[in-house]
Amino acid sequence: MTLSVTLGPLTLKNPITTASGTFGYGLEFTDFVDLSVIGGLCTKGLSLKPHAGNAPPRICETPAGMLNAIGLQNVGVEAFLSEKLPKLRALGATVIANVWGDLEEDYVTVVRALEGAEGIAAVELNISCPNVRQGGMLFGNSPPLTRSLVAKVRAATQRPLIVKLSPNAPDLVESARAAREAGADVLSLVNTFVGMAIDPETARPRISFGTGGLSGPAIRPLAVRMVYQVAKALPDVPLMGIGGIAELSDVLEFLAAGATAVQVGTANFKDPGVSGRLVRELEDHCKTRGVAIKDLIRRAHRTGGRVGGEAGAEG
Amino acid sequence: MKADHRATLTRRQIYSPGLFSVTFYSPDLASQVAPGQFAMIDVPGRARPYLRRAYSVADADPEEGSVEFLVKTIGPGTAALEEMPEESTVRLLGPLGNAFRIDGVAAPERVAIVAGGIGAAPFPALLRAMSRAAVSGDLYLGGRSSAELAIRERFEGIVPGETVLATDDGSLGEKGFVTEVLARRLAGGAKYARLYACGPMPMFAALAKVAGAAALPAEFSTEAEMGCGFGACLGCVIPGTEKPFIVSCSEGPILSPEKVRW
Repeated sequence: MTLSVTLGPLTLKNPITTASGTFGYGLEFTDFVDLSVIGGLCTKGLSLKPHAGNAPPRICETPAGMLNAIGLQNVGVEAFLSEKLPKLRALGATVIANVWGDLEEDYVTVVRALEGAEGIAAVELNISCPNVRQGGMLFGNSPPLTRSLVAKVRAATQRPLIVKLSPNAPDLVESARAAREAGADVLSLVNTFVGMAIDPETARPRISFGTGGLSGPAIRPLAVRMVYQVAKALPDVPLMGIGGIAELSDVLEFLAAGATAVQVGTANFKDPGVSGRLVRELEDHCKTRGVAIKDLIRRAHRTGGRVGGEAGAEG
Repeated sequence: MKADHRATLTRRQIYSPGLFSVTFYSPDLASQVAPGQFAMIDVPGRARPYLRRAYSVADADPEEGSVEFLVKTIGPGTAALEEMPEESTVRLLGPLGNAFRIDGVAAPERVAIVAGGIGAAPFPALLRAMSRAAVSGDLYLGGRSSAELAIRERFEGIVPGETVLATDDGSLGEKGFVTEVLARRLAGGAKYARLYACGPMPMFAALAKVAGAAALPAEFSTEAEMGCGFGACLGCVIPGTEKPFIVSCSEGPILSPEKVRW
């Protein structure tokens, strides 16, 4: 039985991938996951130059999740290409290179640097990181800026282009539409929600950056709603669902909401083998139920029930 | 190799309220772990904490297949360990991080071990390794008060030298910070070939100065809040002198003090 899924020009051997920022460069996980088994892995966000990230403390635990403001610490695109990518290729990993920058030109330069490299299945643009002062979420929260950036990157790459959306955008569907119209092949959603935690003793934020991105099961219902909403508004756009996925039932939920693939995030920290396990469990599920992957996708849009706020919904 | 080990609680010893040890049967981990390394413990079936927590391995006995942790109750995760019935299972992700090095120290050279409070946690394993290598030394154990030093019971009979106690309030041992006690001993002519330490950040900052002034090579078992424990989340960084940040879990937790910007 095949678990293969097609997202526009991108075909993955199964819908289970890992989210950027929660899976290092993949190589940190080789004791726990056979990287060739999962549908793909999104790398730590890559920038033009190595980036040191934010001062500690960078993380704190919150109910059913965590806040982080790592600040996109990464080795830079050159070191990724020379040190990480050859190893990932040897391990048979399907690599999705996540890219960020302060300015439009930075994104374009990084994407160009990746263009000639062998072993990259797709590029994912991070326009939604809440933990840097420039770039990041600023692009994602303004549809005109999203449109301009995505168009420039689109012109710089032949590869499948994924744009990772911010749940902090004032109108997510507008952001999705802007990214799509400017040339995104796939949309991934959602990145973290801007949150804050304050130490009641000192009255200081628990994270040195002040605010941080909230992730983990705490955000799952919000993320499911957003995937559902975008899938409804833009039914032809392939989506990757992200937000607190830790169990098979969570995968099924996101697929039903309209995602064609998912990205497992914070759960990788707690349970580093989770992505490989979810592939096996999804395979078992499809076998025992005798269902194909395509039957699992958008199920919630076919069940006939109306969702609050949709035309005709009551109450 | 790092792995997620299923482990069964076989023994718990209470030293004082909120200060205890738990011992698990986990033969694979027991045979692999080195002094100073740690494990991320997951107590299944609990909503809080969501993430695992890092615990230094206090001791491991490969023949018994046992792995022991010294714990101070500070929140829901540690409370779960304190209350967990025997035969309960947990998951231990490990062994993680680097280890204390005792190579290069040879009798009659001696070492000093400095522990602040529950910072004593990784040292039974180091003392076991020292005993095998016939290296002797003194243990400096500091705490706020005598209650916090109840942990000394775990070290009875395993220190190949003197156990020096210090409390902030003078209720047990010498009065003052354990770092000051060590500094006085060094000024009085005590000679050590290496210093091992574990405790809170302010203790490390003071101790780095003491070690620097005495030109004493040191290995500090640092502590930072960790998300994953194996270098993926980059949450546990410590400011460095040679580069902006050191990733505490994967480049440490044992670090040489001159590499850290205290």
